Amino acid sequence: MWSLAWKNVWRGGGRSLVTAGAVAAVVTLILLMYGFAGGATNGMFQNLTRSTGHLVVRVKGYDRIEEFDQRLLYDLEDLKASVQRTLPDADVEAVLEVPALLAGTSRSRGVVLMGLEPDGHLMQEMVDRYLAEGQRPQPGRWQAALGQALARALRVKIGDEAYAFAPGTDGLGAGAFEVSGLIDLPESNLEARTAVLDLADAQALAAPDAASRIVVFLPDLKTLSQEKRIDEAKAQLTAALPEGYEVLTWREAQPALAAILDLMTPMLLIYAALFFGLAGLLVVNTVYLSLVERIREFGIIIALGADRWKVMRMVTLESLVLVLSGALVGGVLGGALLYRGAQGFSLPGPLAQQYAEFGLPVVMYASVTPTQVVSVFVFAVLTAIASALWPAWLTGRLEPVEAIRHVA
Amino acid sequence: MEPIVRARQLEKVYRSDGIATPALRGVDLEIYPGEFTAIAGPSGSGKSTLLHLLGGLDRPSAGEVWLEGERVDDKNATWHARLRLWKVGFVFQAYNLIPVLTALENAAFVLELRGVPPAERKKRALDALAELEMQDYAARRPNQLSGGQQQRVAVARALAAEPAVILADEPTANLDSKTGRALIEYMKRLNREKGLTFLFSTHDPRLLEHVRRIVHLEDGRVVGEEVREA
Ligand SMILES: Nc1ncnc2c1ncn2[C@@H]1O[C@H](COP(=O)(O)OP(=O)(O)O)[C@@H](O)[C@H]1O
Ligand SMILES: [Mg+2]
Repeated sequence: MWSLAWKNVWRGGGRSLVTAGAVAAVVTLILLMYGFAGGATNGMFQNLTRSTGHLVVRVKGYDRIEEFDQRLLYDLEDLKASVQRTLPDADVEAVLEVPALLAGTSRSRGVVLMGLEPDGHLMQEMVDRYLAEGQRPQPGRWQAALGQALARALRVKIGDEAYAFAPGTDGLGAGAFEVSGLIDLPESNLEARTAVLDLADAQALAAPDAASRIVVFLPDLKTLSQEKRIDEAKAQLTAALPEGYEVLTWREAQPALAAILDLMTPMLLIYAALFFGLAGLLVVNTVYLSLVERIREFGIIIALGADRWKVMRMVTLESLVLVLSGALVGGVLGGALLYRGAQGFSLPGPLAQQYAEFGLPVVMYASVTPTQVVSVFVFAVLTAIASALWPAWLTGRLEPVEAIRHVA
Repeated sequence: MEPIVRARQLEKVYRSDGIATPALRGVDLEIYPGEFTAIAGPSGSGKSTLLHLLGGLDRPSAGEVWLEGERVDDKNATWHARLRLWKVGFVFQAYNLIPVLTALENAAFVLELRGVPPAERKKRALDALAELEMQDYAARRPNQLSGGQQQRVAVARALAAEPAVILADEPTANLDSKTGRALIEYMKRLNREKGLTFLFSTHDPRLLEHVRRIVHLEDGRVVGEEVREA
């Protein structure tokens, strides 16, 4: 019966070809869409976690605490050791954020001084990666890397001094830093109020031996689908750490950004449904017309003893053959393009620039999950069946005598 | 002997757009196993209607249809479909065959509907085609066959299914008279050699020579019957 359906589908030629072509185009498009979105979300995930880590350890209730000194982790060395013991493969580093006033010779601004470990990921991510001029702050030399916008606002250049004031803290409370580098951060409001210091210098200024948070980088996390590992690591850490601390995943630390990533899946589903809906209209039309042209033939088939269900199944099979052959071609085409996209692709120049502001990497790697591929074919099958419903119902209602007497 | 087909006081009135057309007005008919019977009558006399009712393709307005001792007319559509699939062979006037299938596949089509395994249905279809001297055309599509050859494939399809009775509604109407007569000869031979029961209709009196039993239909009534020596 499949072979009969196959022959019947292609006897029309043109119309079926156009319809199957449309289905192929839809499948290709959706696969590409999935691949692009997968590449974009994975890229955003990597970008985001590169500058935030996968997990953060901080004082319990951090967000509700106003006072700088109560937000600090004082037993930093013990805590770090304990985290490292629990997650031996992970990279663990401390960050100290100090709200301060930074002044040039004539102007000053409220800033956040970020004390980062010299060998850590964050120093690379925040400074090296975006360095526009100069170099990163060297340990023990009271240097600072300033956001370009901040440097402009303070009217300081590389080699100039900037004066930091963090009064009321346990540290020195004030210090002069040499501007060692300028960084061009993708987010411009961050660039206007960020200065990066060496962690030890920041501690000496405002909080000896303490940090605001411990950031954990898990190894080899490339795609969003590996996120389970983050939750597992969080559970391990929570169990291992003493009372008074909280462990947040990147998702909990950045709920808004995580929500944007999570929106991708339902949005893609809606698009896929929409595209398949449109293709389905074409399929309905094709199946219906081929039925109208063959009323007499169906009459004969019914007269020979095929019952209602059998002819309905024949019509549905034709719809399936039509849609699935299109979907197969689209799958091969889309698969080939995805394979190329998986080696890396970029948006055209100006677009890439714009999207970089939202944390989208310039080079992305197309990625689809098996579930997505299966879902495309499930969509195709559903489209075929839904498109066949009405024509099949009409065929099932044919009275054999009328159908046989029917003159086309 | 029990008749294969029995019609009692069969009536059929077509209703469309509020107009009632009486097509059959009380037909009694009995067909016995091994008979070769012609329904003769002019166009519009009700031949097709009668064959449709006997084969469970349509429902009478009144009267009864029996097939192999079983009441037909009071059953539902699914039962009728099964009856046609297993007991009745149909040959129509034209366009009997499925255009995308070969002669062999067409001849095997009813067997395929019945779920007969491929090897067996191929064998039976080939045998049936051979009976109609169509085995050399087994791989051809209907549009590569003449009208007469197409009708022979249609008869082979009925034959392959070994039905209780073959109902042929003007099988020769689209053929020239020589080809038409040849088709009737094939049917007669199957009747003679295999004991197949045929009931066919025609409006062409020339086809009736050598037919043993002829039922004359006019205006939906049986107006006469001849039984001749073979
Ligand atoms: N579906 C129908 N609707 C209305 N009238 C019909 C229908 N089918 C047949 N008839 C009428 O019934 C009568 C008998 O038709 P039919 O059985 O086809 O005769 P025959 O086969 O001998 O030519 C004719 O008058 C025909 O017009
Ligand atoms: Mg007729």
